[in-house]
Amino acid sequence: MDETTVQVYSVLFVAITVVLVYTARFFGRRRARRRLQRQLAGIDQIPLWITQGIESSMPLHLSFGATGVGGDQTPAALAEAEFFHHVIGRAKASDISPIVTMSAPATVPLGQDLLRRAWPQGNSFSRVQWYPPDLAYAGAVAASAAAEEPAAHIMAGRFGAELALMLESADRRGQPSLAVSERLDGQAVAYAMADHVLIGEELFAAPSAVSEDGGGRADAVILDVWRGLIILGATVLLMLEFSKQLPLLSWPLVAAVAAVLIVLGAFAYRRR
Amino acid sequence: MGSAGMAAFVAFVVGVTTILSLLLGDNPALFGGVPGSDELARRLALPGDVLLRLVAIVIAVSIVIGIANLLFAHIGRLARGKIYSAILLASFAFTIYWTITNKGDTSLLEAVQVPIESALAALLFVSLAYGGSRVMQKRADVWGLLFVAVALIVLLGSIPLEGLAPVKAWSDWLMAIPVSAGGRAILLGIALGSVVAGVRALLGQDRAYRG
Repeated sequence: MDETTVQVYSVLFVAITVVLVYTARFFGRRRARRRLQRQLAGIDQIPLWITQGIESSMPLHLSFGATGVGGDQTPAALAEAEFFHHVIGRAKASDISPIVTMSAPATVPLGQDLLRRAWPQGNSFSRVQWYPPDLAYAGAVAASAAAEEPAAHIMAGRFGAELALMLESADRRGQPSLAVSERLDGQAVAYAMADHVLIGEELFAAPSAVSEDGGGRADAVILDVWRGLIILGATVLLMLEFSKQLPLLSWPLVAAVAAVLIVLGAFAYRRR
Repeated sequence: MGSAGMAAFVAFVVGVTTILSLLLGDNPALFGGVPGSDELARRLALPGDVLLRLVAIVIAVSIVIGIANLLFAHIGRLARGKIYSAILLASFAFTIYWTITNKGDTSLLEAVQVPIESALAALLFVSLAYGGSRVMQKRADVWGLLFVAVALIVLLGSIPLEGLAPVKAWSDWLMAIPVSAGGRAILLGIALGSVVAGVRALLGQDRAYRG
């Protein structure tokens, strides 16, 4: 595929996403009370952790990891900030501010702004903590978990295998954790060691799962629609490839199987 | 227009300019070879280029912000009697003094930082082994079992013993097909999420602009 075709497809993809987001937000706000979005495992634990934190005057620990602002991770950083904003908003009744940590310096202003907006009681400056990246960050967060004794750790960002140090420290102290990483090695560690885990694009659907905003839920539905379309497209292409090799398969058969898959997918989505 | 509205407007203008510049610029073939398409493509690429360079400068400045944040946070902790913060601040001051007086010498970094990071890396192995042992406690289902089985096969497959050649073949197949497919699916999901989050920010729907 030459560069021009790729650029044309990119323009079309972005344009379609803009139209879908606008349309879904328009209808999503109207249907905000209806459940549009599929449930995410682990998100329902957050209110419980917040309540425990408020009762015992323990802060929440929210971690951006190495997600930075300015590069290709910017949308992820904004999605994480949105997620944390809603979590902090629910913890407003607490008398102790959450701790926000990160290892990308460009995320520090984002974290401070986030805490300043969502935590009007003040004293946000020292609660946003930057540490040098990778193992130094993991060591510092593990030490912080010992000193601050957070009610829970919510780690949504870019982590590598060093996430194991932080989760092990939290686990040893009986502090519950929810983790998701944009990196595959960090995601594997999160799956193995965190009490609750989000996977892949669930990071971007998490903000709407903790808010009452119908528009945000509509965005999460758009994610599911795109994902479904990609799975469907990949399946059809795969079957077409097979149809060249097996004489039994043909266009009508491929179309019929695709239709069955769509119905099954829609049914599974509806049930979830 | 309030400050939130102004922020959303600036974000929208800068975002749309950058995305159009990146998508349409620097490729004359996109305009079907009409006269002057080279110049048009070059001009379209210019705003995106300038804005991305500005981002690089801002990121460089943000490192200073990060260090300032670290220092102020630990000065605050020191005021609350946390002794480790005093050690951090003293180390920071001494490292600055050492670097200036020894004209950029990094031997202090190599003598202190590298061994400490190596020790942490060794601890990481212990943490990962501990995590592996806890998988079946945390996820006592078929997926947890599958996770452990795959991890064991890949670990055994990496041992250079002739008797484990069949396991190595299994391990290679697992890494090449299912693990690769799963990894790509996760990355594809993240990419889709990034596009939707980017569009949301571009349209000024993000909380950061709404105040």
